[in-house]
Amino acid sequence: MPEYYDSVPDLPIHPYATGGFRKFIADTVSIFELNFLPALKVWYVTVLLAAAFPLPWFYVTRAIAPDDPQVLRRLLAGTLVFGVAFSIGTIVGQTFVGQRFSGTLRLIITMPVSKGAYLLGSLAHASISGALTVPILLAFALVAGVDINLEWGLALSLILTVLAVSGLTLFVVSFAPSMQAGNLATGLLSLILAALTPVYFTMDQAPLLMKIIGYISPLRYAADAIEKSLSGRADVWAEIAILAAIAFVALSLGLWRMPWREK
Amino acid sequence: MLATAVEARNLNKRYRNGTWANRDITLTVKRGELLAILGPNGAGKTTLVRQITTELVPTSGEVRVFGLDALSRPNEAKGCMGVIPQETNFYWGLTVRHHLRILGKLRGLPPSIASSRAAQLISDLGLDEHQDKPAEQLSGGLRRRLLVGIAMLADPGLLILDEPSVGLDPESRRDLWDLLRNYRRRGATVLLTTHSMEEAEALSDRVGIIHEGALLALDTIASLRAAHGFDFKISYLADGRTQVLYGASDTELLQRVQSLGIREYAVSRTTLEDVYLGLTDGKGRLKEGPTVDA
Repeated sequence: MPEYYDSVPDLPIHPYATGGFRKFIADTVSIFELNFLPALKVWYVTVLLAAAFPLPWFYVTRAIAPDDPQVLRRLLAGTLVFGVAFSIGTIVGQTFVGQRFSGTLRLIITMPVSKGAYLLGSLAHASISGALTVPILLAFALVAGVDINLEWGLALSLILTVLAVSGLTLFVVSFAPSMQAGNLATGLLSLILAALTPVYFTMDQAPLLMKIIGYISPLRYAADAIEKSLSGRADVWAEIAILAAIAFVALSLGLWRMPWREK
Repeated sequence: MLATAVEARNLNKRYRNGTWANRDITLTVKRGELLAILGPNGAGKTTLVRQITTELVPTSGEVRVFGLDALSRPNEAKGCMGVIPQETNFYWGLTVRHHLRILGKLRGLPPSIASSRAAQLISDLGLDEHQDKPAEQLSGGLRRRLLVGIAMLADPGLLILDEPSVGLDPESRRDLWDLLRNYRRRGATVLLTTHSMEEAEALSDRVGIIHEGALLALDTIASLRAAHGFDFKISYLADGRTQVLYGASDTELLQRVQSLGIREYAVSRTTLEDVYLGLTDGKGRLKEGPTVDA
């Protein structure tokens, strides 16, 4: 039989912070930690994902391309964009789809945590894992004799590429009715986007369909900016501005569609 | 001090496919009590709880948690409660200690307090031996214990548990009940859903009976049984089917079955199950004119 109590001790109703800027930052860091600590245990998988696809691809294209420094830099820029987009798309998609359909997300939703902090923390983890492609590929390109003169625009272009691809992935996987469908969509999105966008050659050289896609695809502007940055050019403001606009729209759409409080 | 922990008014939930999961539910959970929401699978218990925990937005109605409007201030409302969802999962590869420490920070605890609170809960919940194991390697009972720990991280005034003992062996279930009783003894309010009559009778001060999305009754078990009208029942087999007779006293019932020439029977007090069957027709349909005391 249950016990009955005449008086109720007064437990504090609201003992800790539930909002505010400091809580937002602390939550972002905690969400990053939740994703990053398990990933550390299987760090070799992350490294493999970052290297396994872009390295052989660059090796093959490098072998069949003419020995022109400009062409090689474009190939490197295209492979960087392709590799980062693929890694980020896969990690972001699998993180959000996996946590949503396995029920892990419910642990977070029942806490006083904002959707934005969850998104930022998860993206920070995905970005660090996905960005591994960059040093690996740059080191390989130097060994392979590609003439590189790095400029500041490279880092900014890559960050904006990560944000744009993450937003698009989030938006697309939010429609997934199951984990299987979500994982399939995740892999296909970045592959199709990268395959149909002129990333390995310029817009002038692209066929009509790719030109049309190239006007709206963030990967084309990323490849253009990265190619310039690898050539020692700093005139990448136009590409950066367009990439930033696409990243903003894609992330807003992704955040808007991301399941949180179910309606 | 506020007298109510949760107040739901005219809560309705209609899903996109047109199903009404909750219909006009009004209930109050008094501060310091343990209220069990009882009903069969698909009755609308989880929908009700998820609206109170702010996971699900109601179609219409109002939810207040310790006086806070949970619909417009969900994070503040969530700050007052610890929730144990029915279906959830842990972060793969993350240990028990990591879960408690990091989720403690998400509850708003400063990092040093989150670490010490995690250590204290590991000890209180008997998880010492398992603290460095990845959570996915825990048994069902230990996983549920970890979920209780996560819900208790910030010492909330309200614990909400959705079918907490589903899938637990009898020993783990008794352990869970002890944990809940102990936590309540410290002044917390507990709201749980269950389809186990035994669990509701063992734990709760009051019971709400939910069926087809509607709250049929809400009262103490004694009052519900009194409303049922009979204190005793006698069960016997006739024509291959179990027959049940209700009566005000056991002697009266014994005389009745003996006059029918029945030799094998069982006499017992009416239970919550009898109350539930009395409110429905026993086949999952609602009887006309249900008693609702909200």
